[in-house]
Amino acid sequence: MSLTIYGETLSNRMLIGSALYPSPEIMKNAILASGSQVVTLSLKRQNPQSLSGEKIWQYIQEVVTQNNGHLLPNTAGCKSAKEAVTLAKMSREIFQTNWIKLEVIGDDYNLQPDPIELLSATEQLIADGFKVLPYCTDDLVLCQRLYDLGCEVIMPWASPIGTGKGLMNPYNLETIRLRLPDATLILDAGIGKPSDACLAMEMGYDGILLNSAIALADNPVAMAKAFALALAAGEQGYIAGVMQERQTAHPSTPTLDTPFWHQPGV
Amino acid sequence: MNIHINGEPLSLSNEEQSVAAALGIYLTAQQALLSFAVALNGEFVSKDDYATTVLSSGDSLDVLFPIQGG
Repeated sequence: MSLTIYGETLSNRMLIGSALYPSPEIMKNAILASGSQVVTLSLKRQNPQSLSGEKIWQYIQEVVTQNNGHLLPNTAGCKSAKEAVTLAKMSREIFQTNWIKLEVIGDDYNLQPDPIELLSATEQLIADGFKVLPYCTDDLVLCQRLYDLGCEVIMPWASPIGTGKGLMNPYNLETIRLRLPDATLILDAGIGKPSDACLAMEMGYDGILLNSAIALADNPVAMAKAFALALAAGEQGYIAGVMQERQTAHPSTPTLDTPFWHQPGV
Repeated sequence: MNIHINGEPLSLSNEEQSVAAALGIYLTAQQALLSFAVALNGEFVSKDDYATTVLSSGDSLDVLFPIQGG
């Protein structure tokens, strides 16, 4: 049950967000329950009199230290390559990491990534020494381009951020896995249920990144555990090898010596 | 000289024209001790350059802090 991100081996396949929890305490306990070693966070303006963000930041630092984990800053809210590159540089200075979850949004309605700006930002950031984890759509050619630019990790969406709709287009996701066998593929965004995580793992994905599905659950801590179990089940299923689908029914029970044959009406 | 910090107007005297000086006015003493990063007109400014980066009238500074994120 290990995941490799830019040469770093992690003992858990879940990347988890730190937003939307009912309280900082629940956030901390949910992240610990998930076992995740990678926690996403962001940068924003803050009212000069407000120190609310500092408490969250302290909690996140505690959790990451406790799990021997990593911070993964994002570029949420950016709509151009220029904005994303600037935010990535600011994040690197604060969080002291070259890892960046690269988000460049192209549409406000469904928060769909802008593939053109995403590629541009990726190219600039890799040239500047960043380890880019791009959040992208489930477009095979876009994923291929990102991989060709040097992204060892690609993060296609399951469905739009925060919808919980699960895997909208399994065919696309399976095709990306098939065509990019050496990329680390992490399913990001839109995951709603533990079974979505299980399905991703059964497809051979390397991990998932989620936030809302846990933070907005009735019991985030219990849901974090459920996702951990689902990931383990899906991974074991993938390793075991899923049977081939068949078009027609085949009886499971042997038909030889079936009783009551040749007795019409019984 | 007038600039904006995080979208808010700020007047600076002739002696207060660096990024470091503007931050000294804008941030509370407590905030100045926290983790933050700065961009000037959309370009990253390293901490090492706060004192030597000179502002011009109409400049826009962004001062960002860590927050939760997905």
